Amino acid sequence: MKKRGLFAVALLLCASLFQAFAEPSPELVSAAKKEGKVVVYSITSRIANAAKAFEAKYGIKVEAYDLKDGELIEKVSREVGSNIAGADFVICQDSGRVYGQLIAPGYLVNYVPDSMKSLIPAQYQNPLVFQFINKVFIFNSEKTQKPVISNVWELTEPKWKGLMQFKDPKLEGVNANFLTMITSPEWSDRLAKAYEDLYGKKLVLSTPNAGYEWIKRWFQNGLILGNSDTSISENIGIKGQKAQTLGLFVYSKTRYEAAKNLALLPMTDVKPFSGFMYPAFLQMTKNAKNKNAAKLFIEYLLSPEGFAPWSKDVGSYSSNPNVKIDPTDHPVSFWAPKLVFEDPQYLFENRADVEEFVNTLEN
Amino acid sequence: MKLANRAKYYFRKPHNVILVALAISLAFLTLLPLVSLIRDTFIVHPSEIMTVRGAKVNDVTLFHWKKVFLDGAKSFKLFYEPLWNTLEVSLFSSILAIILGGTFAWLVTRTNMRFKSFISVVFIFPYIMPSWTLAMAWLNFFRNSLIGGAPGLFTAITGVQTPNWFAYGLFPTSVVLGLHYSPFAYILIGGILRNMDANLEEAALILKSSRAKIIARINLPIIMPAILSTFLLVFSSTMSAFAVPVFLGTPVRFQVLTTQLYRTLNGLNPGYGYIMAVVMIVIGLSILAVNQWYLGKRKSFVTVTGKSSNFSLIRLKKFQIPVSALALLFVIAIAILPLVTFVIESFIMAPGNYSFSNLTTQFWVGPGREDIGGGEPGILLNKYLYMAFWNSLKLSGIVALVVGTIGGLAGYAIVRGRGTKLSSAVNNLAFFPYLLPSMAFGAIYLSMFAKPIGFIPSLYGTFFLLVLIGSVKYLPFASRAGINAMLQLSGEIEEAAVIMGIPWRKRITRILFPIQKSSFLSGYLLPFISCMRELALFVLLITPANRVLATLLLQYNEKGWNQYANGINLLIIIVVLLINLAINKITGASIDKGIGS
Repeated sequence: MKKRGLFAVALLLCASLFQAFAEPSPELVSAAKKEGKVVVYSITSRIANAAKAFEAKYGIKVEAYDLKDGELIEKVSREVGSNIAGADFVICQDSGRVYGQLIAPGYLVNYVPDSMKSLIPAQYQNPLVFQFINKVFIFNSEKTQKPVISNVWELTEPKWKGLMQFKDPKLEGVNANFLTMITSPEWSDRLAKAYEDLYGKKLVLSTPNAGYEWIKRWFQNGLILGNSDTSISENIGIKGQKAQTLGLFVYSKTRYEAAKNLALLPMTDVKPFSGFMYPAFLQMTKNAKNKNAAKLFIEYLLSPEGFAPWSKDVGSYSSNPNVKIDPTDHPVSFWAPKLVFEDPQYLFENRADVEEFVNTLEN
Repeated sequence: MKLANRAKYYFRKPHNVILVALAISLAFLTLLPLVSLIRDTFIVHPSEIMTVRGAKVNDVTLFHWKKVFLDGAKSFKLFYEPLWNTLEVSLFSSILAIILGGTFAWLVTRTNMRFKSFISVVFIFPYIMPSWTLAMAWLNFFRNSLIGGAPGLFTAITGVQTPNWFAYGLFPTSVVLGLHYSPFAYILIGGILRNMDANLEEAALILKSSRAKIIARINLPIIMPAILSTFLLVFSSTMSAFAVPVFLGTPVRFQVLTTQLYRTLNGLNPGYGYIMAVVMIVIGLSILAVNQWYLGKRKSFVTVTGKSSNFSLIRLKKFQIPVSALALLFVIAIAILPLVTFVIESFIMAPGNYSFSNLTTQFWVGPGREDIGGGEPGILLNKYLYMAFWNSLKLSGIVALVVGTIGGLAGYAIVRGRGTKLSSAVNNLAFFPYLLPSMAFGAIYLSMFAKPIGFIPSLYGTFFLLVLIGSVKYLPFASRAGINAMLQLSGEIEEAAVIMGIPWRKRITRILFPIQKSSFLSGYLLPFISCMRELALFVLLITPANRVLATLLLQYNEKGWNQYANGINLLIIIVVLLINLAINKITGASIDKGIGS
């Protein structure tokens, strides 16, 4: 036992030593400084603070633009497609579209900094994952601290009518991805089983499978579609509401709790899923003008220092295992069995059908 | 040889040169894009390879047409329902605009109501302000918690919950758009009431007709053409409104064509969006056709515009005070109260809590905090705000210069060449962009200029493209102003100068322009103001580096960063109002001259 502990300490020491050496090469830094500027399109707004810190550290000007996921994909595909100078690198999400529309035609270029090659797990290296983000069922915790549901089928019961919120899947690709993924054979089986576990009888379908069935019943149970996860977090978390409300939104929005006087708690043990998790990718554009500055910024963002604006709070998980997670949060390995993940191939083939299905659902 | 001589003679007249140049460039900028748009409804776009199974990019397909029109319940949700909602909104808001604008026009021109000058200035505000201003104010006031979250000011003050239909969807969208465009009706109808020949009324008075009868049998028929053209203008404007339905419709999944257009173009199915753009253009054209047909039929009526103005004002007697007070309260409610809510909303920290301790300057001058927004600093410290601000000013300034000048010249050429086919063709071409819904127009330019055409490189992402589309879109305002200015000028003035051998350039700059200075300047002012607050036209074409204030505002709103959005909105309004006021004071140009023609 003791030996094992010692081994672990040694390993940690090694890792931290390695970390100390994992600085960007001086050549890259000077080449980047020569370019003096870098442009990034990002789906996360906290890029603004990372940009400020990066500017302060290297004296390289950053233009950071925060875009919606679909908008980012459209802009990049047009700009790179007609060779217009735009972003040098992007932080993008929505795997089905990113693979199909940006990576397949070669608009995005994968770049993994040398210092990160041995650190970041191989399966996250191509395309390079910047972070994982999760959206989970979160409830208003003013009256109770205990989870308010244990099974997603409860949300199709009249008791929850008009009290649930979810961002409009037409406004954000990852939400449509989540709905698409639960129609997959794997998840629809688990949904069917969860139904039987809850009600003790077989689910009678009016749609192709249990995934579609749950979507239909959830949406038709007065689900309120919001414009943004921020306003949903306010709507759900605001104190003094008569009814118990809940939403499925970005876990990191619970960071607003103190400043905005909200009451929010996540649920981690809902059957068969407590929400979903998706990657945000870090990719250079094919026609990047400031290649070196982009590389330097990418390397910086993957470091614990560069990731600070995200790691300060829950709900953001760097692909670099050396980045510490908020002490009240859990690592990706904790979330993995509880959340729905994206499968780019399945999404690419089925997302359009699911979107169309969702579009025809009446309130 | 003879032909060459004739051509030489033809082009010796400056207005012919202008007409030919305008005809060619407008055909290229407005008709050719239509062809490109129609082509886009038949091909597979990059983002559609997920939808159109087994197809490659740029394959020809009927997929989009089938899906939009012929796919049962799916088409209904995708297209027919939004179309129906669009028509409803346009109809209701047009009616409201006419009733409101007409009433105020009548009160101001024909009665002895008090506070006239104040009311007539402030009543125009909703049109000068961005259209979403009132939508945001509506939300600030009437947001309910049925939909979850913080209630608005109204509920906070009275404790009364607003019902969903009142807070979101068809009703508030129609009301807000109706209010926004009622200055249109006010200016158009007011203009006619003001210039109406008073003899008709006096004759009726002498014959002891009742007031009601005079209104019904004399006033109404005379202003009927104005009512109709207001209806048609407001109808086509509201049809292309985008921001208002976005703000007020989404919470209850209320979709109109423009919101569907925006989503499909940015989503998986741009092909659907291009078809919707075609539909909107077809509706716009039918409206123009109806308008033309009606004006053609009633031509004789419009001529009643004598200058006699010594008609008697109706005395409101004991109603004078209540009517004046009501009118005053109303304009304050629609034009000044919204501004107050923006101020308040931009200073509160926890949503829905309007107590004094909850006020903060964080969103104006605070440093970025991840636990509030996404780490963006307050508005006044935000470098992207200054970028967008500068872009907005630059864009509006350049567009105004280009449009005002070309519109003035167009007015000159159209009037001088009156009666020729070319002149009326140019007249129609210059008005045509008015009928293209802004969002659809943006979609066309997006599809057309995203790739090189002939010797023109791909313009997507350039500032020039924004200037180009703004100039074409607002040309109708300026060309109308120019035509009116020229129509009022007797041709003899210029002829005298021609006889004196004064060159054309000097005739324009030294004689014609100075005489009708304020009319021509209105042709610069209106495009400037419209451009400052334009969203739908630019939203598809903007790249992050040339963002303008309006798109920045939309972005903050979409993120749910209410305080930032309210603050930016306040900034836009203040700038637009100040500029309008300054130009008005210095030059005498005013926007009512631009629309009221």
